[in-house]
Amino acid sequence: MLATLKKNRWSYLAVAAFLLLLVLLPTQLLAEKTSILILIGIYSMVTVGLCLLMGYTGQVSLGHAAFFGTGAYLSAILSTRYDLNPWLAMLVAAIATGIFAYLISYPIFKLRGNYLAMATLGLGIIIWILFRELSQYTGGPDGLSGIPNFSIGGFVFDEKLERYFLVWLFCVGALLIAQNVVGSRAGRALKGIHGSEAAAESVGINAAQFKMKIFVLGAVYASLAGSLYAHHAHAIGPNAFDFMASVMVVTMAAVGGLASIWGAVFGAATITYISQDAIVELGRSYPRLAELDVVIYGLILMLVMIFLPKGLFVSLRDALDTWRRRRAQRGAAT
Amino acid sequence: MSGALLETKALTKAFGGLTAVDKVDLSAEVGKITSVIGPNGAGKTTLFNLIAGVYMPSSGDIVFEGKPLGNAPPHKRAALGIARTFQNVLLFDNMTTLENVMTGQHPRSRYGFFEAALRLPKARREEETISLKAKRYLNLVGLGMHADRNPLSLPLGQQKLLTIARAMATEPKLLLLDEPGAGLNALEKQSLSELIRRIRDMGITIILVEHDMDLVMGIAEWVVVLDSGQKIAEGTASQIQKDKRVIAAYLGEEEVAE
Repeated sequence: MLATLKKNRWSYLAVAAFLLLLVLLPTQLLAEKTSILILIGIYSMVTVGLCLLMGYTGQVSLGHAAFFGTGAYLSAILSTRYDLNPWLAMLVAAIATGIFAYLISYPIFKLRGNYLAMATLGLGIIIWILFRELSQYTGGPDGLSGIPNFSIGGFVFDEKLERYFLVWLFCVGALLIAQNVVGSRAGRALKGIHGSEAAAESVGINAAQFKMKIFVLGAVYASLAGSLYAHHAHAIGPNAFDFMASVMVVTMAAVGGLASIWGAVFGAATITYISQDAIVELGRSYPRLAELDVVIYGLILMLVMIFLPKGLFVSLRDALDTWRRRRAQRGAAT
Repeated sequence: MSGALLETKALTKAFGGLTAVDKVDLSAEVGKITSVIGPNGAGKTTLFNLIAGVYMPSSGDIVFEGKPLGNAPPHKRAALGIARTFQNVLLFDNMTTLENVMTGQHPRSRYGFFEAALRLPKARREEETISLKAKRYLNLVGLGMHADRNPLSLPLGQQKLLTIARAMATEPKLLLLDEPGAGLNALEKQSLSELIRRIRDMGITIILVEHDMDLVMGIAEWVVVLDSGQKIAEGTASQIQKDKRVIAAYLGEEEVAE
């Protein structure tokens, strides 16, 4: 009893610290890096959706950037060509992406393991080709520009800091929903499917249905993140949603520990920092190294999978837990 | 008063050229322990998988509570009241023992993604009931003090008990136990027999597949013997022990079924 109370106290403290950090980062600590902090929020949403699918339910997807892309492109097309309000464009994009994911889930979840990975990889590449080739809608390789800002009444989100808070409002919402789902009856069903599909079915869990639902939820998360990205960056191109983007999201999830909601944020932050800041800085001094970013992600993914299969975040948390327990024991002994 | 809760009628399953279950008629009486025995490869586990809905029969019928099960998938059969354990345990190693049992409450609870996402009162209420009942089933098998442990950190005997608790949490009418005694020591087997009897006394019908003859003969009220997919005998434990065909099948006097 005391242990759970203590644990609760720690997790409330952690959430409070996290929210405080969210406010302090763009205003005090890292104001000059607000753009990167916005991207971290956007990628956290995509990663959390993937974590629900991969880490909790055990279904690999190597094409998650496709849904990120459909969200971004639909938002961009609807708001630039059809003058739809950005909020409405975002909503339509999320619904359309959700329906698309629902339809695709029927054939795709007939597959398992490596075959599922290959199918999702193929899906990601097909969608990416469509972004490039349907140029009368998507602008082809050049992409689309002039995507408007979000606005509420007369208030326009035209400052970075405003968009930062908007993005993180959505992100924290997505995290809380994911956290609630994971700790629920549905969450146990998902984990059960991961643990043993046969056993899950034997206790009445409709595995096919739960896989489909979590796939759709992950796709909707990615789509919302894509819309936020489009209305933040104001211009999008196909390369942000290519195969490497999918691999990057998988790397973020892996660094965070796959089956950890808050780990997803950690993973997204680490990898986004490396790709948007560290490699750029490195490229200034050693131009050759900047071209090696693909190698760097691959290396990170490999090292994490080999040495820290639970992910950097979860491993660190476990180490901290052990240290705290030891200290408590020592405290009790003296 | 009684009758058959589950009946198989000329149930047949062929895998290519091999007929694993061959026109088997089996009847599990309400509130009784029926045991299916037979040498390795006799078709016991295939029979189980047919009843649980993992395999669909090549021909024949399975009738549960007077209604044919047809092509209902395993999760639907669990909801109807057919629960099972697995020979190879199959616990969820990504959850605590209590959570493993809580998954068993799945067909007896309703709230879904939406209520969970927003933590609506309905979700919280149901979650309370689920955890309360799960604790009760964990206590039933005597694992109440291990609620927070990882199931794979328990010894095999307790893991097997945990799978029974998980199956019981689905609140079944029929419980299928697939070799619950395999790998247990004498003491564990004894408490297992007691547990199975206690579950029977709760009014739950049990079909038990088991290798251990002492265990079967001690608790089974009706024994069905399979050999090479066919039913070769059935009767009470003492009748079966004297049956010549059964002895032949086990000792391999004429035809040896591997």
